This record gives sequence, C-alpha cells and structure tokens, in this order.
Amino acid sequence: MSKGAVKTANNNKMDWIAVHPGLFDYPVKKKNKVALKASRCSRCGETFFPERSYCRYCLDESQITNITLASRGLIHASTIVYVDAPSGIKAPYAIGYVDIPENGVRIFALFDSCDRELLAPGREVELLIGPISMDTDGKKIIGYKFVPAQRKGFCI
Amino acid sequence: MRDVYITGVGMTVFGKHSERSLRDLGGEAAMRAIRDAGIKTHEIEAGYCGNALGPVLQGETGVGQNVFWEVGINGIPIVNVENACATGSTALHQAWIGVSSGLYDMVIVAGTEKVVMPKGQVLDVGNGELEARLGEVFPGYFALIAQKHMEKYGTTREQMAKVSVKNHLNGSLNPYAQFQKTFTLEEVLNSPVIAEPLTLYSCCPNSDGAAALIVCSRERARKAGSRAVKLRASVLATGTYENHRDLTTWEVETRAAAKAYNIAGLGAKDLDVVEVHDAFTICELIHYEGLGLCPLGEGGRLIDEGLTELGGRIPVNPSGGLLSRGHPVGASGIAQIVEIVWQLRGEAAKRQIKDVRVGLAQIMGGNKEGDTRACTIHILSR
Repeated sequence: MSKGAVKTANNNKMDWIAVHPGLFDYPVKKKNKVALKASRCSRCGETFFPERSYCRYCLDESQITNITLASRGLIHASTIVYVDAPSGIKAPYAIGYVDIPENGVRIFALFDSCDRELLAPGREVELLIGPISMDTDGKKIIGYKFVPAQRKGFCI
Repeated sequence: MRDVYITGVGMTVFGKHSERSLRDLGGEAAMRAIRDAGIKTHEIEAGYCGNALGPVLQGETGVGQNVFWEVGINGIPIVNVENACATGSTALHQAWIGVSSGLYDMVIVAGTEKVVMPKGQVLDVGNGELEARLGEVFPGYFALIAQKHMEKYGTTREQMAKVSVKNHLNGSLNPYAQFQKTFTLEEVLNSPVIAEPLTLYSCCPNSDGAAALIVCSRERARKAGSRAVKLRASVLATGTYENHRDLTTWEVETRAAAKAYNIAGLGAKDLDVVEVHDAFTICELIHYEGLGLCPLGEGGRLIDEGLTELGGRIPVNPSGGLLSRGHPVGASGIAQIVEIVWQLRGEAAKRQIKDVRVGLAQIMGGNKEGDTRACTIHILSR
C-alpha cells in the first residue's frame, strides 16, 4: 500500500468505504440499476456531477433536482497508466474521459480493462460500481469504473 | 502603469538536494539575485515567495519569511504564493503589480521547492480531487492530451520524442540543469512507458531547487545600465473548466498570450527566444500552437523542421526546459525568467542565441476538471 493511499474518516463498521461521498448508492439494491448521482438545474439546464446543493451559475438551490446519469457512455479519450497511483490503484490501469450523451456531460473515469482496442475513442462502455483499491486499513475502496460494452462479464 | 524592470537574477543548480532545506535553497537563489543586481537588501521594499508543495511534502508553511530572512530581509511585507506549476511566475506577477502600480520601487521574488520522490513513485499532490482518487496522475492526464492530439492532427510519437532530444541537448549546455546528458530519439522512445504514449524520458523529473529575481522601477533600474531587462507584459489567467473542452489546446493559454502580445505591442513573429512549460513532451508542441509560433495542429511539423532548436529561427527552451533543467514546481516559473534574462544580456554561455531582443516565458499548472488552474505569460526585452 502506498503512503498516500486514501484514508477516509469512516464511521461505518463495514469492510468498505466509498472513494468519495455521495457519488452513488452502495451496496446496490437488487431491484435498482447501478447509477451515478448528479444534479440538474431546471432554471439554466446545467447538469452537475458530482451532485451539488445549488446551481453554480444561478446560485439558487430551489431549482436543483437530484438525477442519476445514464449508465451507458462513449469513450472520449483513454490511456493506460503503468505507474501505481498515489491513491493506491495498482498499475497497469486505464483512465480517461467518458461522454454520457443522454445527460450531455463528460466525466473522468477509471476503466475496467486495459485493452487498447476496446478503449478506443467512440467505443461504448457501461457503468460498474465496485472495489477499485484498498485503503491503509485494508478496507475495500468502492468507486466507479466503466467496462467495455463489447465484453461479457466483469473482471473485478 | 509604470514600466517594470528586472535587474538581478539567480538560481541554484536544479536536481537532488536531499540534505538542503527549502529556506537554504531559496536563500542561495535570493543571495545570488541580490548580488547580481548590485543592491543592498535594505533597498528591497517587499518580497514574494513561491512554494507549491512545502505544506504537503515538508509540512512547512510560511516558507517566504524563512527564505528572505536567510538573506537578512525582515520587517517588510512578505507574501507567500501558491499556484501549482505557475507558482513562481505568479509571484513575479504579484511583484509586477507592486512595482507597476507605483506602490514599490524595488522588490524581490523567489521560488523554492523540494519534490524529488523515491524512485518509481509519481508525485503525490494529495487526495482532495475526485480524479486523483480515481487514479489520475499527471502523466496520465497529459497522455490523454497526447492521444487526442495524435488522433486529431496525426502527431507522432517521434515528433513528441524530438522535444525531449532537443531539450536534453540544450540542458547539457546548461550547468544549472539537472540532466547533463543527451538522449537519442531511440532512447526516448524505448524508455519505459509511463502512460500511453508517454515514456519515462517524455516526462520531466521531480526536482529540488530555487530561483530568484530583483524587480524594480525604471528609476531604480538606471544603476544597472544595460544589464537591466524590461518586463513588457505580465499576464495571469485561469482556465474555464468547460466540460466538453478540446483537450488538444488550452484556451487559457491563447487568451493569456493574446493579452500579453497586446500589452507589449508585440507578436509571436517578434520573439527571439521562448521558454515553455514542457512538463511532458506533448505540452511543448501544444504550446508552439497556443503561443502562435505555428498554426493549430502543426506543432509536430515545427519540431520536424528544427525551427525551435538552438540554431533555429525561434529557439524554444534553450535552458533545457523542465524536461532537462528539472522541475522544482515553485521555482520553475522563475528559472524560465532567469534564462530569458541571461539570453537577453548575452550571458547564456554555450547555449547563447544570437541577437536576442525579445523573449517570452509561458508556464501553467494544476489540473482542474481537465483544464488548467493557472497560466502565466511574461514578455521581456532589452
């Protein structure tokens, strides 16, 4: 475990912690689809990820509604990283930007693959919520990843 | 606004200084700048000190007061400045405001940093940002930019590697540079991949070091005679964090450069020497485009034609740049100015460019939502 690995104040007694508060509901209930939580301002139409309590442009909390982002995305850019991340993610791993056309937003993402072909720009990916690394106390860090839609099954 | 001049410059050798402190390095640079300007410390009315990562890596704050007391400066206003890789150049921008406004006649600027990491580790700038928690590291972000530039303009790995070859050759002529050796194109291309397509020698090192400047009014610059260099423009700008921004260019850079050219009454064609933020090879190619040295998408062609080499039409990073001189984050922006001043005075020894009249320094830093937090442009002339 690298020195800078995520250390999050954790008041649950579970064997996991979230990579960042408020990104998604976890554990995912059987009936629900996995989804990232976002906000939309109905006055100006802007969508925010992660979610927030007031619109950055209108400076108004009354017009903000909580939404979930569509789970299908298209890769805008990707790269494979061959050095361990200070946050504890082990190399090799792939990162990049994913467009969520349904919501008109582009988000930074980890990928659950290091296959250059499957991670090419324009390729379809599907959201996955699960462990991305371990913290200094050996707890699983739960984050989000995108998995190539062409691939059957998850490898986490 | 009054005219502003730089009359003294100084820096430490960049590299690994494991036994030395931030104040020790900064003090040496400040001492050299004061001696170079031929002034007494009591003439200095304010101090601006850049340090980006001391609070994170050394657990040290208030570095500026420590640095300036090393050279006997106390009592006057001292400001600590942090703006990621643009920390040192932002300190200079603050100094420019202080002197051009008429508030001060003579001030000192310093930047000091210690960021050498244990072998094989990338710089840990903390886990405050979601992207960092999800695995974003600096080489990864710039690799994404390189991927998009290759996709959109057909830029090649060889063109990017040529930036590293050129800058290491320049750095081998600079006694202040961390790297004193040259690399072949093959050595750059075949060094270990850090993040596709960037290899180890496509990335700048993390370095320890410091640099300093004496900044003053026209009146106070007279004593320095022809060694005084005029600061024609000092511009600081911030990214827009636009969600769907084009990763192959930085709007903040073109905006800041346009403003600086306008203030200086000069254009890209007037430049004789340029220092840019080549933290990764791809950056230098994009900065050629952003500063108007060539049209968008033609950065690769410019390096292919050799125009940015020491003997070329518009030499870029004669110091060796961040790639070879090294990158002590808070000091790099000031070291660029030191190099431009040396080039303008004809004091750059083995790497001296002929007939240098106008120079430009560009640096930017800090990723935020895929954009840049801070970008500065400084234009200097004889």
